[in-house]
Amino acid sequence: MNLHRVRRLAWVLVASQIRASGRGAHPKKATNQPAVYGWAALVLAGVAFAVAAVSVRGTGGSGSVLPSVVKAALPFLPLVGVGTVLVAGLMFELTTTAKFASSDAANWLPLRPQEYVLASAIAVAYTYSAPLALVLGAIAGVAVDVGLGGAAAVAAALSVLGLLQGALWVEMVRAVGQRAGGGSARRGRISVLLRALAFVVLVVVLELAFNPVVLLDSLSALQAFGHLTELLPPFWGSYAVLVLLQGNAVAAGLFAAGTIGFSLLLLYSANLLRQHFWSVAAPEYHFGPYRYGDPHPALRALGLSIPERALVAKDLHGFGRRREMMPMLLLPVVLLIVIFLEGSIGGGGIEGVGLMIYAGWAATFAGLLIATTSLGQERRSLWHLYAAPISAREIFRAKIVAALIPAGSVSAAVALFVGFLFRAGALDALGLGLAAAAASFAVSAWGLGFAARYSDYQERPRPQPMRPGAMLVAVVVGSAVALSILVPATLGLVDGGAVAAIGLVAAIAFTVAFGATGWLWARAGFVRLMREIPF
Amino acid sequence: MWPGDSVLGRNVGKLPTGPTPGMASEGGAVLSVDQVSKSYGTTRALSDVRFSVGPGEIVGLLGPNGAGKSTAMKLIVGLLRPDAGEIRLRGRNVVTDGVEAKRTVGYVPESPALYEFLTAAEYLDFISDLYGVDPATRGSRISEFLRGLELSGHEDSLISAYSQGMKQKVALIAALLHHPRLLVLDEPLNALDPRAARVVKDLLRDLASRDGVGVLFSTHVLEIAEAICDRVVILSHGRIVAQGTIAELRRQAGLAGSGLEAIFLALTGTGDLTDVVGALRR
Repeated sequence: MNLHRVRRLAWVLVASQIRASGRGAHPKKATNQPAVYGWAALVLAGVAFAVAAVSVRGTGGSGSVLPSVVKAALPFLPLVGVGTVLVAGLMFELTTTAKFASSDAANWLPLRPQEYVLASAIAVAYTYSAPLALVLGAIAGVAVDVGLGGAAAVAAALSVLGLLQGALWVEMVRAVGQRAGGGSARRGRISVLLRALAFVVLVVVLELAFNPVVLLDSLSALQAFGHLTELLPPFWGSYAVLVLLQGNAVAAGLFAAGTIGFSLLLLYSANLLRQHFWSVAAPEYHFGPYRYGDPHPALRALGLSIPERALVAKDLHGFGRRREMMPMLLLPVVLLIVIFLEGSIGGGGIEGVGLMIYAGWAATFAGLLIATTSLGQERRSLWHLYAAPISAREIFRAKIVAALIPAGSVSAAVALFVGFLFRAGALDALGLGLAAAAASFAVSAWGLGFAARYSDYQERPRPQPMRPGAMLVAVVVGSAVALSILVPATLGLVDGGAVAAIGLVAAIAFTVAFGATGWLWARAGFVRLMREIPF
Repeated sequence: MWPGDSVLGRNVGKLPTGPTPGMASEGGAVLSVDQVSKSYGTTRALSDVRFSVGPGEIVGLLGPNGAGKSTAMKLIVGLLRPDAGEIRLRGRNVVTDGVEAKRTVGYVPESPALYEFLTAAEYLDFISDLYGVDPATRGSRISEFLRGLELSGHEDSLISAYSQGMKQKVALIAALLHHPRLLVLDEPLNALDPRAARVVKDLLRDLASRDGVGVLFSTHVLEIAEAICDRVVILSHGRIVAQGTIAELRRQAGLAGSGLEAIFLALTGTGDLTDVVGALRR
């Protein structure tokens, strides 16, 4: 293995995400350099370290319970490293478009599979290193003060190895997922459904596996098995830190060496899987015979013209078939499942009004995500909307309907979810469903406004349908709009009487006000956007 | 209902074309580009460009890389707005009457980004909906095109699994489905196999000569331009440096008896290649 080549390829893989093709990419700009992730991680770690150190000294220092808190936290760090990359990798890396997956440099450059696997894993681990850096910095800031700096350094090193282990797991799933469909083409609809199901299961399992609440419960349970867990390689990094804190340096060394060995084994396995399964060609999905000239009669009832119906149907197809769009639709579902399972497993779930508001917010989140990504997901195919004989008004109507149909479906699902799983009354569930639908309408309008102004149409390995800063603002604004409708509505539902009337009036007023302003803002954005293609 | 789907020449086989109602009474240019300029920031992409395409005329838009060919085509089909000047499609202004003007155009971009999560059948049906192709007849029309370009049997697979040439064929079919009066094709023969390239060339000639469709296409393969173009427009650094028939260009360049390649290199100032070739051989 040529490590220089691995390093160069890892650099290229990180740069390919940062620098999209198009007029906006300036390769010399500081923010377009792969080093930006490293600097971000260092700055975060430094700030967290300083804040933690200053806070500890300000609150009395090492005489308190802090040493025991640090001793409890440090062994978790290697697992946090694995978990961060696994969750982020599953959400963003495995949704890479087939186009990029099949044009990977490794397919045509003289590279060995193990070189590509290691480079890709390093790139993934590096990209998602910032959250771990933040946690590491904070804990190290306290650890140094209480005299556990050495253990913190070992934990930090093993956490970085944990990042790499997480990335290697992602590489294994990626290799298996990109395999060709064998001799026969895959059956389209079934494959799409199975893929969505697999995505939900994977994200839920991993979200729970590395969720702090669940992790604590699980580790407590595991400790009941005594030395049995010491045989599980994924925990060796944590055990190395644990026994070091107990003063057993030899055992710590053995566990650390075992972690390095396990990482090499993961690299070997990822390499084997890539060699065995990887296919350069995109998997072929075959659908049943198509019937032409049936302009989506189900959508006619909504008063849409034929071109509008065609655009809506096209977008709805995309949600199911594009793996980069799947998280948009499934994230709210995952949010609900996780909160339910957390409540069931850990016993610490939210209840009552809080749960209803959370459920409503999760439902509107679907509308927000779909609306904000509705234009960016067109990417270079956006030219169709400019070349075809359709007006900006028709495109706007189609886009808002394409956002509201799935958002409305999720609202209905939430009502059922709250109604059945949490044994709320039928009226409460119905009321929440209606409130969520109203909030979805307002939020979708705002989401489209953001989409018309801040969408990112560049082709990137990992999808980024909106500029990250704008996406953050859109989520904050959308959540504020949603909560302004959901909170009074939910309080009204739960309290009844005079509060119900006030809540209802407030919810309706906010829906009309935010819906109308959002609609006008979005419309203005569309008119401006449709003047000229933005790339 | 589109009347008169006709069987074409030897290589075109059964690809559907056929006259469009109202075509016979048409007189003026199907495309007129008048003093059009366009800049990207401080970069001037096109300067005072002026040319037209008449009914049944095949016009080649030629020029070195970065000359402004694709920009000109994007302006014509409404993807971009001119900073100055006016573009008319069958008399309709592309900016002020965009929706109606675009109904008459079929466009294939340089690297057509299609909706790859759709099957070819779904994509072509989607395009038919956007352009108002009669639902009753579109199925047979699409099927004929698919057969003619050897895509039959692949139409129910996702476009993402297609080769570049297959995607190009789908883009070409999409541009032809609605009986356009003007075809704007940015390097349409890219990635096509020899048979398909021949079919497309014959089809363009047939559409122009029999149905009066105007064709504006760009290519770097000058032999193709020489073989099928009635006129040629040569762009360089965003300006038209020459336009006319091959014979007129020959006279303009003072290169009697020369081919289009020599004329092109002379007119675009890239004629003396000896040093370049010498450097590359070292």
